[in-house]
Amino acid sequence: MFRVVLYGQWKWSRIVVILGTVAGFALPILSVQGASSDPTSAMKAGELLSVIQSWGVLYPVLAAAIGLLVAIATWAPDHRGRHVLALSLPLPRWRYVLLRFAAGLVLLVPTMLGVLAGAVLASATATLPPGLETYPVALAVRFALALGVAYAVFFAISAGTTRTAGIILGIIGAVIVVQVVASAAGIELDLTNPVQAVVMNWPGPLAIFTGRWMLIDV
Amino acid sequence: MSDRLPATCCAVVLTLCAPLAGQIPQLRARADSLLVEWQLAKQFADLQDSLRLGRERAGRDTIRAGALTYLVNRSPLPLAQAASIAWPQVERFYGPAAQAFAQRPFLIQAVDPDTNEDVPPGRAIKILWNTEVAPLARALVAMADLGPLDPGLRDWLGGVVVPRFDSGPGHAVVYVQLVTAPSLAARRCYRDDRAACRDALSLSAMTDPASQWYGPAERRALVVQQYADFLRRSGHGQTVRSCEQGSDGSCLELLRSLRNLIPPLDYQARLTFLETAVRVGGAETFQRFLATPAGTIGSRLAAAARVSQDSLVERWRNDVLAARPTPVPLPVLGAWVALGWIVVFGTCGLRSSRWRVS
Repeated sequence: MFRVVLYGQWKWSRIVVILGTVAGFALPILSVQGASSDPTSAMKAGELLSVIQSWGVLYPVLAAAIGLLVAIATWAPDHRGRHVLALSLPLPRWRYVLLRFAAGLVLLVPTMLGVLAGAVLASATATLPPGLETYPVALAVRFALALGVAYAVFFAISAGTTRTAGIILGIIGAVIVVQVVASAAGIELDLTNPVQAVVMNWPGPLAIFTGRWMLIDV
Repeated sequence: MSDRLPATCCAVVLTLCAPLAGQIPQLRARADSLLVEWQLAKQFADLQDSLRLGRERAGRDTIRAGALTYLVNRSPLPLAQAASIAWPQVERFYGPAAQAFAQRPFLIQAVDPDTNEDVPPGRAIKILWNTEVAPLARALVAMADLGPLDPGLRDWLGGVVVPRFDSGPGHAVVYVQLVTAPSLAARRCYRDDRAACRDALSLSAMTDPASQWYGPAERRALVVQQYADFLRRSGHGQTVRSCEQGSDGSCLELLRSLRNLIPPLDYQARLTFLETAVRVGGAETFQRFLATPAGTIGSRLAAAARVSQDSLVERWRNDVLAARPTPVPLPVLGAWVALGWIVVFGTCGLRSSRWRVS
């Protein structure tokens, strides 16, 4: 059963998976272009770290984008078919969703491997100034976890109804509106910063996306 | 004609100066009267300062912790508690030299955090009275600066002496500087060249910082990226162009013309070196350092720490290398936490309301 579900999802999301894998493979290699083996054109350590840090912003963006697109592709045919297939199968609902979730996770593996392969290749080819090291495995592990979290978040949202999504968006909007009204009224009420701290700092759900994403560092 | 020229010039000068010569006593008298006026004005200014200080000090509580003395207005500021935490740290760093604080009371103005009233001007250090004990103690330690007792130390350091031994994060910052600073001396220091470390920290006499700190490519980059505008405005446009085109001689000439060249390792690095010296030499290091005002900073610190300069530099370098920062900011439990969130959100998907029969 799992193979059937996986095959179906592969058909729906193969373009996303292939493009994600290519992008994941290319990103680390592009980021170390300044670390040339030619000493006359090679970047100094400070400049190189600055370039690597700039490219590093793209890793969480790529993870979030691929997670979002694969999660949407996982549920889109079911939504279009009004879940007739799922309801006609002799499976409990939780098991069907679990199969979908697991198949989506499996489809993320090529992108994860793409980043790992790109990072290893980039590390092997770059000539680094003394004092700098490469961290391909740590970067790839972090990317894999961020991709998994992004996929799980969007899978949960996508699995819900429009009403559920509306409620979530409504809560976020209400927090912002209360904050704006409180600020306008001169009331000392800080809602956004605590919420942001809970979500973005460890052990918050999106903490994996924050911080520096460095293939090369001290 | 040429024989007569000097004599003619002398005659002209004497003719022009003759009336001035007669005015010399008058000019001297005017200069003397200006000096008297200046001395009088200075006395008034000192008196004014003294009265202002006296007014600021009046009605204040005196809080003492060891030799640290604070004059503070009445408020809930937990100054006594914080001072009792700060003093042992200050004494551990400065040793007997810390007694100098007995002659240098700190004037503190505890400020109400909930008021919009203007804080009265003056020399007092302003601190919100709701500051907690731990940050207040840290602030008191940072204020305990004996740098002004030694102008050479103050000039070399380029900032206040902070009597702390817990500068692990500070050492990590210096590690990053050693690796990333665009300086030949810093890179060589990282590779265990002690002479380069001495140069990078300006421990010895810096006869030519531009060549001791930087290589040719770095000199050109410094001129082009940091100083080009200033140098062009000050009439060095042609030399700047020559430097840009690759003439290292021009770059050197330009950098040598600057009074203050950016050092490769900054205040933080020098402070950690001072800290290392005090840690190696023990509690009386600072006292010994103040007692030997002659020599370069490196030799004075080494003598005060009772080790050779090379040993001190080696010890500092080891401290810095040991404080290498964590490169990938993923906490130990971070992977498990992320996996936990994947499970949580996956479970939320399982509990979807999509198929719930209403």
